[in-house]
Amino acid sequence: MEHLSTHTIEKGLEILRKFDDGRFLTSINSCVHCGLCADSCMYYVSMKENAFIPAKKVALIESIYKRYYTFTGRTFPKLIHAKELNGETTAELIDLFYGACTLCGRCNIHCAIGVDIAYLVSIGRAMLAEMGLTPPTLQSTVDAALTSGNNMRIATDDFVETLKWLEEELRDEVNDPDASIPLNEKDRNLLYTLNPREPKFFPLSISAMAKIFYAARESWTISTHMYDVTNYAFFTGNLNEARIIAQRMLDEVKKLNCRELILAECGHGERAFRWEAPNYLQTNFDFPVRTSVELLAQYIASGRIKVDKTLMKEKVTLHDPCNLVRSGGIIQEQRYILSKTVTDFVEMNPHGADNLCCGGGGGQLSMSEYNERRMKIGELKAEQIKKTGASVVVSPCHNCVDQLLQLNSYYKLRVKIKTLAELVAEALVLE
Amino acid sequence: MATIEIEARKFEVDGDGFLSTPEIWDDDVATLFAKYDGIDEMNEKHWAIVRFIRKHYEEKGNAPMIRNLCRETGIKLREIYELFPLGPARGACKVAGLPKPDGCV
Repeated sequence: MEHLSTHTIEKGLEILRKFDDGRFLTSINSCVHCGLCADSCMYYVSMKENAFIPAKKVALIESIYKRYYTFTGRTFPKLIHAKELNGETTAELIDLFYGACTLCGRCNIHCAIGVDIAYLVSIGRAMLAEMGLTPPTLQSTVDAALTSGNNMRIATDDFVETLKWLEEELRDEVNDPDASIPLNEKDRNLLYTLNPREPKFFPLSISAMAKIFYAARESWTISTHMYDVTNYAFFTGNLNEARIIAQRMLDEVKKLNCRELILAECGHGERAFRWEAPNYLQTNFDFPVRTSVELLAQYIASGRIKVDKTLMKEKVTLHDPCNLVRSGGIIQEQRYILSKTVTDFVEMNPHGADNLCCGGGGGQLSMSEYNERRMKIGELKAEQIKKTGASVVVSPCHNCVDQLLQLNSYYKLRVKIKTLAELVAEALVLE
Repeated sequence: MATIEIEARKFEVDGDGFLSTPEIWDDDVATLFAKYDGIDEMNEKHWAIVRFIRKHYEEKGNAPMIRNLCRETGIKLREIYELFPLGPARGACKVAGLPKPDGCV
């Protein structure tokens, strides 16, 4: 790393000072570096590099904080291994905090005293973002969202044309000329969102949800102005940019006056808007926010849609997105849906709150410079899938789905990868 | 930045294997990149998809919507996923020599 200006270093340190609240200080002061977290981290387990141990990541940010914000660190830094924020430590931070962490949070639940390690990594990323050191490969997805309104720079007319095409297909499929994908309608029950990769490259999940909404006779709409459920600034750590993106979604709910916001199958998108955005925006939402996973479970449980599980003849397993299970507490809903739509279901081991990340979380899918590591840690997931003997892997997260597609090819798993909506749509019985 | 070697030809690629120098792309490069991803023989449909993506990229600087790809080539959506198991982005766009698209791909 080249020489950093005093101004750049001060910017990074300012973030540390800004966040030195109870949550941050408790975590850095409580970690005794016992290393119990080592075996919970896919990076360490796959590559056995000591620097990848979560406790080592804690030690790095802790040593920098103590160097500047404690008396001993300022006066006798060597005594407590306090380190300066300089070119060397910054390069380490970039490599470990962006390049060797998916923010999956599995280390948190394996920590005997509950140190919020993934949060400390997020703070480290926020520091680097403030210093202008976000990897350009990751920042470009944020820039696309900020400048075009969605993270794939889809032009509005292309988006509308795609949804009109899917609407035609839906009408043919359900044989009803009135079936629709309503755009920009006000006063509907639900505002539904999408991951831009759906309209751009993988629209089967949009068709699936549209068919389910049709069957449920739901009052819903999609905005053509702000439909992007993702917020990649959550990954870069740039809190100002994260706030701008979240504000747009909030504004759209208000503008269209919908009663509820439904977040598409997107792990980080759910976390960034439902749980982080109230902090970014310093406000509480006065409308409910739910994921499509919870909505689908409710539709089935209430009998609002009918499904026939015997239609699925294959063995199915489930990949839990880290952000849904560990940060969102959504664990039973997807299993309930599967119990009603699949006859032969098999769990991965471990699963639920202790699941293994797909390897593509935390923005890894965008950072091609760390691709080799991403495929290496993904081997653990590939092995898990192989052991189930399933021929279908379902996952309620488009980011996980993309990583699983690559693992499927790379590790020759020969499975089909589906979203939960696609699975439910296949089991749907129209009355 | 990385280098991959396919049948004795070397290519500069990004970490994901997307061509770093899109201007050197030609039919031979497409055939080699397809082989690298496990497509041993590019058939007519593979070529129709790759040529349309390439044309769109050269004219507009980005990958086409899947909607346009289906309309212009007449190939059904599900068949595109079968032809390129890694999908339109990491599969077809890579063979067409495009840089990696942003977003969850």
